[in-house]
Order: sequence, then structure tokens, then C-alpha cells
Amino acid sequence: MINFMKKPYEAKEVEGILNPLVKKWFLDKFREFSLPQLYGVKEIHDRNNILISAPTGATKTLTGFLSILNELINLSEKGKLMDKVYCVYISPLKALNYDIEINLNEPLKEIEKIAKKKFGIRVGVRTGDTSQSERSKMLKNPPHILITTPESLAIMLNSYKFKENLTEVEWLIVDEIHALADNKRGVHLSLSVERLQKLNQNKITRVGLSATISPLEEIAKYLVNEDGNCKIVNVQFIKDMDLKVLSPVPDLIDITHKDMHDSLYKLIDKLIQGHKTTLIFTNTRSATEKVVHHLKEKFPKNYTENIGAHHGSLGKEHRHNIEKRLREGKLKVVVCSTSLELGIDIGYIDLVILLGSPKSVSRGLQRIGRSGHKLHDTAKGRIIVLDRDDLIENGVLLKAAIEKKIDNIHIPDNCLDVLSQQIYGIALADRIHIDDLFELIKKSYCYRNLSKEDFFEVIDYLAGEYTKLEDRNVYAKIWYDKETGIVGKRGRLGRVIYMTNIGTIPDETRVKVKVGNQVVGTIDEAFLERLRRNDVFVLGGERYEFLFARGMVAQVNASVYRPPTIPSWFSEMLPLSFDLALEIGKFRRYVEEKFKSGKSKKEILEFINDYLYVDKNAANAIYEYFKEQFLYLEVPSDNKIIIEHSSEEGKKYVVFHSLYGRRVNDVLSRALAYAISRLEHKDIEFGISDNGFYIGYNKKLRVMDAFKLLKSEELRVVMEKALEKTEVLRRRFRHCATRSLMILRNYKGRVKRVGRQQVSSMILLSAVKRISEDFPILKEAKREVLEDLMDIDNAEIVLKGIEKGKIKVKELHSVIPSPFAFNLVLQGYTDIMKIDDKIEFLRRMHNKVLAKIGKNGSKEYM
Amino acid sequence: MELFKNIEIIDLALYLSKYKTLIISDLHIGFEESLNKQGIFVPRFQLDDLFKRLKGILDKVEIKRIIINGDLKHEFGTISDQEWRDSLKLIDLFLEYSEVILVKGNHDAIFEPIAKKKNIKIVDSFKIDDICILHGNKILENLDCNILIIGHDHPVVSLRENSRVEKYKCFLKGKWKDKNLIVMPSFKLLIEGSDVFKEKLLSPYLDDVSDFEVFVVGDKIYKFGILKEI
Repeated sequence: MINFMKKPYEAKEVEGILNPLVKKWFLDKFREFSLPQLYGVKEIHDRNNILISAPTGATKTLTGFLSILNELINLSEKGKLMDKVYCVYISPLKALNYDIEINLNEPLKEIEKIAKKKFGIRVGVRTGDTSQSERSKMLKNPPHILITTPESLAIMLNSYKFKENLTEVEWLIVDEIHALADNKRGVHLSLSVERLQKLNQNKITRVGLSATISPLEEIAKYLVNEDGNCKIVNVQFIKDMDLKVLSPVPDLIDITHKDMHDSLYKLIDKLIQGHKTTLIFTNTRSATEKVVHHLKEKFPKNYTENIGAHHGSLGKEHRHNIEKRLREGKLKVVVCSTSLELGIDIGYIDLVILLGSPKSVSRGLQRIGRSGHKLHDTAKGRIIVLDRDDLIENGVLLKAAIEKKIDNIHIPDNCLDVLSQQIYGIALADRIHIDDLFELIKKSYCYRNLSKEDFFEVIDYLAGEYTKLEDRNVYAKIWYDKETGIVGKRGRLGRVIYMTNIGTIPDETRVKVKVGNQVVGTIDEAFLERLRRNDVFVLGGERYEFLFARGMVAQVNASVYRPPTIPSWFSEMLPLSFDLALEIGKFRRYVEEKFKSGKSKKEILEFINDYLYVDKNAANAIYEYFKEQFLYLEVPSDNKIIIEHSSEEGKKYVVFHSLYGRRVNDVLSRALAYAISRLEHKDIEFGISDNGFYIGYNKKLRVMDAFKLLKSEELRVVMEKALEKTEVLRRRFRHCATRSLMILRNYKGRVKRVGRQQVSSMILLSAVKRISEDFPILKEAKREVLEDLMDIDNAEIVLKGIEKGKIKVKELHSVIPSPFAFNLVLQGYTDIMKIDDKIEFLRRMHNKVLAKIGKNGSKEYM
Repeated sequence: MELFKNIEIIDLALYLSKYKTLIISDLHIGFEESLNKQGIFVPRFQLDDLFKRLKGILDKVEIKRIIINGDLKHEFGTISDQEWRDSLKLIDLFLEYSEVILVKGNHDAIFEPIAKKKNIKIVDSFKIDDICILHGNKILENLDCNILIIGHDHPVVSLRENSRVEKYKCFLKGKWKDKNLIVMPSFKLLIEGSDVFKEKLLSPYLDDVSDFEVFVVGDKIYKFGILKEI
């Protein structure tokens, strides 16, 4: 049973369970319980599973630990404290772990001071950074509270000796559960948790701590599985919010790039100077560097040592240094990509600036929640927008945030790669009967739907059944006896391989771009494939001419003045959430209704003002934008897709105004491009954005005929075909092959470069396809692309909406792209659907060469 | 397709028709096994594919001599069981047709035991009239030929249309000093090779290939003209 707690306990009830020493310490220090504590402490004391959702700074962590500390002190006083792990605490961040250690040792010391004696309660951190000597110390004297990461937990479960300390665990705390549940790290963890439970006779009490997220019922199920009990505490909105969308200029259209640039930095500077400490989110790494650079350049007096950049590509030391200086209050402003979203303690922040949309309400709230770290502080956030689509998007986002409409997360289902890795681990740890193994796996919420077929395919893969018998010793990872049903380990190297390749986070394939010896940025490896000598491309806002590549380095020339010859693709951009997209679509519909019913400008402005909580400038900009679109064409909305035929600079476009977010549009556009390419027998180029997608062409295409062919029930089959030759499948296959240990990153003491992994994975992919299109790791790569990266489920819902007539489709023509289409074409990233095979393509290209040479009148090549 | 009189491209090989001699370059036997050893568990298909493709060539023309122009095997230092087995199988196949000569490549340092067992000559370069066949990893002085044939670099050309790029193995034909130079593609079927459009080639014979002619190997041979004009 999953149920929401309706009311908190009385303070007296909570006090009643506390040891007098703990009670004195707590009340001396905090005076009263916070709301999360009134809800949670007693439940955890009573050994009830619980999920607590509250913003940063809402004392979640102490809520989780208070009754556990209390109990350990009780045991210590009675002399009953044993040498075993009582509580396992897991968080996704190593950095957070050290914070937690400090935050536990401090109260312990303070209580010991009151008690004037030692309790002997040990708190220990175990992560990938924990040294060998510390680990052996832990083995002899296990920490009573063990703080760790999902990966280190998996390693401990496979450690013969340490495992013994994990057989009488009473509590499990999963912190920042929202940052785990929606990805494969969380899937991996869910199996580790069930493995941990299996080591224990007693039921472990599970505590989940989460920031703002929805739906909480599903996160609770993730924590305890479907048939488990869990209470939910929802105090997501106890913090006051002060949120605004700002535009650097009154008019977002008639402005030069330079003026916009100058105004933007003036605005940022003004905001920073008006506050004590500011945290800026930019979404991308390159933008992070750029913002720091421009602030320093434009306001050299304001920004010197007091500004810092923080993102994943920077070294660990640099990042720790920035975090430390933030905590010490030595920084005025920190600019980060997304890296400071999660809850490590970063001290006092009184303003969060979002440059560019956070693309989902919950992400926006998490970021803004980094300010006003104390419970009763107000969280202050400013979203700065640079164009009109951005303005509308963030206006609606803000409305949803204020009105507490949080977008739903997606928990991956049946990941066969993670399953392979975990079964390998289970088999290494102990012999197990195949039925027990299946039962254990099905206990995880992420595998509740796992079919026997998929399970046995994974077993066959791990047992090396896909290769010839004589080669099997090279490929088999586990040993499975079909007669007795026993699964076990195989080979001498198994343990080392497992321990050094554990985890789910893929290595990134970024190619360094260099001017001479200086790195100016990175590009995607797949993007490099497209580049030819003398191509001009844009990186971080600058143009570069490509010279040559060697391994994972692309040499470029910086002084180019020609326009780009090749469009960017595969952006780092975050996708707009489906739920938020629908909200924007709804807003569009309301505004169009006003225009259609002939409302005056004043009335419409009032409506916008009212509905979106934006200021006059912003409302005016939105009004003008809609008016242009309404007069020129028609306004698309959540239940009206407009298909606009248009052309620009000689190129023709069919623009689909389908505002459902990029994850849905990725599916719709590819399925359509696939259908067109079959009809017309040619390669189809298309572009995708959050607000829609487009097909570009030179000669007439039967787009509408193809569009009518798309049916919701066939979508998955079509998409599996459409994905076959794509870059995105190749890349995801590499990730899946690495997770399932078909490619070992770490083998015999050598760590493989990502470039090497990429080449190998292509060879591996074509080999695996020859075995079967349904090879479990290939199947998983397709699933990951369709369900996790893209959003086939909601794409199906959209198609069903069209089939049932709930969503109207209107075909319209325009001379030049309509205002809404303009940004869509400009911002979309492009890809191509290949129709012909390599040989056909070669013939076509050869004919082109012949034609070219023919024109020059040379006979030599005829 | 003829590159010069008596020098013809057949699939990924060169055939010197006057001398009934077939040249094959860079087979890299044991590549899959070397991947396995690095912890990449690619199932083994290469040898079967290789046999099929080679037979297609061997059965097409009359052959008196087969020259392997370097890098028969993949691993540098050692010879593994798999390489040993597969190399012997391959050489047995060749010996069914003709005599075999191995031009030493940079991967073949420890090739001697196999060569000895099968009684095969190993040479640094092989000369027929004014044609010299050498691997190309280093300059060989005093070669008295008009035409040099090298391997080593595994040339590949990438063809692009809009956003689509595909790679194909290719032969290159150009000049080195006053001599004619032919660069052969590799017979390593698992990987295409080095893209001549963007990668710096390794052979000291190949400094600038932009004026070289490109012959793409597909279902047949396609002449694509001068590299820089593609």
C-alpha cells in the first residue's frame, strides 16, 4: 500500500520517542521540529517505509537520520551496540557523501559533549575514492552508518568479507532519489537494493529522500516495489518562492545581436551586484565558459577572483575548490552548466539565475531551490529569456511552478544491459537457482514487467550461447547448467572484470577541437564524421575551418569569415518535458481563442498578464508574436497540429507545428521521414526541435501521403526500422555494450580510450546483427533510444489523438516561413533518414561525379 | 579496371595480368582475437568472410603467384594460437592456387615460424620488371622501378551528400618523386580504414595525396577522378 500522510505528528509524540540526551541536544539547537521532521521521524522510528519529498534546505537529511542516531545512542547506552552496519545511506554524489559524514559526526560530538561520554558510534564513507587501508579498517570495524554510492554498494555486495557486515541492516536511506529513479543508475541501484535485502533475514526499512518531483506514488513504488508499503510525505512547497522571467530588452525582435549581447550582460551584472551570492545555470559547458569570460571582460572591476566556473569537464580539484570557496562565502558568483543542481552544500546563495530554459518545471524548481538554503528563506529565481519562444516557454513554466504542476518523470523499464551486469555480479557472489534468480530480479520495480523470454535471452548471452562452442570460453561470463538450473561464476578473471567495470554511466565521446595546441572546445565524434577539409562549422558561437583529424583531435583554423558549410546537430540541449509542452500548447489555444473571438488588444494583454504572471513588456512581446502568427497563418496548439508548406532561400520546407517536446518530435519526425523515404525512394533530411519538426527538400515530396500512413499501433515497428542505420542507435549500442560488459572499459589493467570503444562497438554492432536483430543488448539499445532518449509512448498518444480526431491536423501554405516556423527551422538540429544501401549510394555519387565531369567536357572519365 | 597496362584492380586486390600475379595487402589476421584480448567480445566472423571474398578473386583469374604486401597478421609482437591457426589455413588456401611470397609489413616481425613451416619466402620488397611491391611503412632506397605499389595506410574515401556520409575502401594512384605510386586498400574486412579526406596518412611515401586519383571499391570499381575535386 502506498499512501500519503495527511497530517504530521504532534511535537510531543516525536519528543516521546527521543532519548533524553538527543532531545536536549535537538531542542537546544533547533528549538522546534521542522515539518518534514514532524512527519517523518516517528515513522522511521516505527520501521515504516517512507518517501519524503521536500525542497533543498528543508532538513530532509536530519529527518532521515534523527531516529537512527537516537536508536544507536540508546543501544550504546545499554551496551548493546554491535559491530555491524545498522544503516546504509546512498546518494548519487560522492561529494554529498562527505557532507553527510560531517553532518552526522557533528551532532554525535555535540550529544557526546552533553552526555560527557563517548558512544562509540562510527560513521563511515565508502566510495570509489576510499583507500585500501580505510577499506580494510572498515572490514574489521564496520561503520554503524555506512555512507556510499550505488556503484560502491554493488561492489560491497560482491565483496566476500564485507558482505558479512551487511546481513543485519535495519535502515536504508536513498537520498536525492529523484536524480536516480529516472536513469539507469537508479535501475542498477534497484537491483542492488533487492540483493541487499536478500542478504538480510529481516525487512530493511526503506527511506527515500527526494526534491520536487512527480508522481510521488511512482517514486515510492520504485523505492519499495509494487506490493510494498510506503508512506509519502509531500512538503514540496513549504519554501516561499520569488520567481520572475526577465528579458534583457523591451523588444525581442528589432534588436541587433550586439545590443542584445550588451544588454544581457548588463542585466546579469546588475542582478549579481544587487545580491550577495549568485548561482547561474547555463545548461551547457561551453556557455558556462563563455559567460565567465564575458563578465570578466565587460566588468573587469566587478569580476576577478570572485567568479568561478563549475561543470563536468573541469577537473575534480577545480570543482572542489569552487565548492569550498562558495561555502566559505568567498565567491560572488558561480556559473555552472547543470552540475550544481544536486544537493551538495554550497553555502549561502540568495539568487539563482537561469540563462535559458530549464525545460522542465521540476528542474527549474530544483535549480531555484538552491537559493535560500535555510527552510524559511525565500528561494529567488530569475529566468532570462532571449527570444519570444523562450519567453512563452518560461512564462508557462513559471506559471506551472507557482501553481505546483510538476512534470512526470519516466522510470526506465526492463533494461537488459543493467540486468546483464547485475546477473553477472550475482553469479559471481554465489551459486543460485535460475528460478530464485528470476524471482529476485522481479522484486525490483524496474523489472516488475520482465518476461521470461527476455530473462533467458540475457542468460544465454551471459553463458556465451551466441558463439560457437569452441570459442565459448572467451565469451561466456557465467556458467548455467540447464539440467540442475544452477547459475554460477565462470573463469578466473570474472571478479576483477566485474569489480573494475561496474556502473552505468557511459564514457563520453567528445573530439577535442584544437587551434594549434590550444583546445577551443569539443565536438561530437559523429559530427566529426561529417566534416571535410575546409568545412566551416560553428562551435561555442565561433566559426572554425576544419583542417584534419587525428584520433580524437580535430585541427581547425580560427580565422574564417565564410559562412558555415555544415549545420550543427546533436546539441547538448535539454529536451522540453512533454507535460510542460502540453501546457504551452494550451496557452497557445487560449490566446488564439481570444483572437478568434475578436477580443481587443487590451483584453488579450490583460489575459496574458493574468495567466502567465509576466510583466507588461513581456506580455506585450507575447501579444505581438501571437498576433503576427495569427494574421499570417494560424496558431497551432495542443490539439491542433499545423503543417506548413513554405520555402526560404530556394529550399523548401514542410514544417510540422507539433509542440510536444523534442523527445516526442524525435519519434514523429523519424517515423515520418522513414515513411517518406520508402515512398519516394530517397534520403530525407529533417530537423527537430521542441516546438515541432520539418522536412527539407528540393523536389516535390509526398509528405502528406506519408503522414497519413503513420498509425499509432505500427509506430514501434516503424521506428525500429527507422533507427537501424542511425548514429544515435550506434552510440547507444556502445553504451549498452559497455554496461553489459561486451566491451570492457577496464581490462587487464588497461583502460580503454573512448575512441577505441567507439570503433570496436561498430564492429561489435554489425557482428551482433548477424547473430540476431533481437540480440538482447541490441534490443536494449533500441529500447533505450525509443523509451528513454526519445518518448515513443507519448508519441503514440499524440498519434492516437489524431486518429480519434481529438487533435486536428491542418495543412497550410505560406510564402515565407511563419513567425512560429522561423525559430523552429533555425533552432532545430538536423539528421537524415537513409534509404538506399551503401552500394546504391555509391552509384548515385558516382553518377554525380560523371555528370560533373561530363559538363566540363572531359572525355577521360566517360 | 586497369590502372596501368597490365595492372588491374580486382575487388580489393591488384592483378598483374602479364605475370599472372595477384597482390593482396594488409589482411590483419587475428584482429578479432586481438579485440577479444582487449576486452571487446566481438564474435568471430572474419575468417569465413575473408575466405569467401578471396575465393571470389582467386577463382576469377589465372594465378601463378600470390604476393601478400605486408601485415598478414594483426598482432605486432607475438603470435597467438588463433593467428597461427588462421594464418596457416589462409596460406593453405593460397597454396592451392600458386606460390606465395610475403612482403614484410610492420606487423609481421615474428612471422618467420609460419613462413618456415610452409616454406614461404619473406622479402622486404618484390620486383617484377619495372614494378616494385613494398609495404610502404618506410622508404626503401635504390628501388629501380617506375611503378611502386604500397599498402600500409588502408585508404578510405568518405562520400558525402547533404548530411549523409559513407566510407569506402579505395585505391589511390599518384606520384612519388618521379615514380608512379599505387596505394592499395586493406583486406581487413571489419574496418574500412583511414579517411584520406581528413586524416594524415602515415606512409613516408604519402605526403600530399590531394592530386591522387581515387578508385572506389564497391560492387565493382568506380573511378572518382582526382581526390581534391571530389
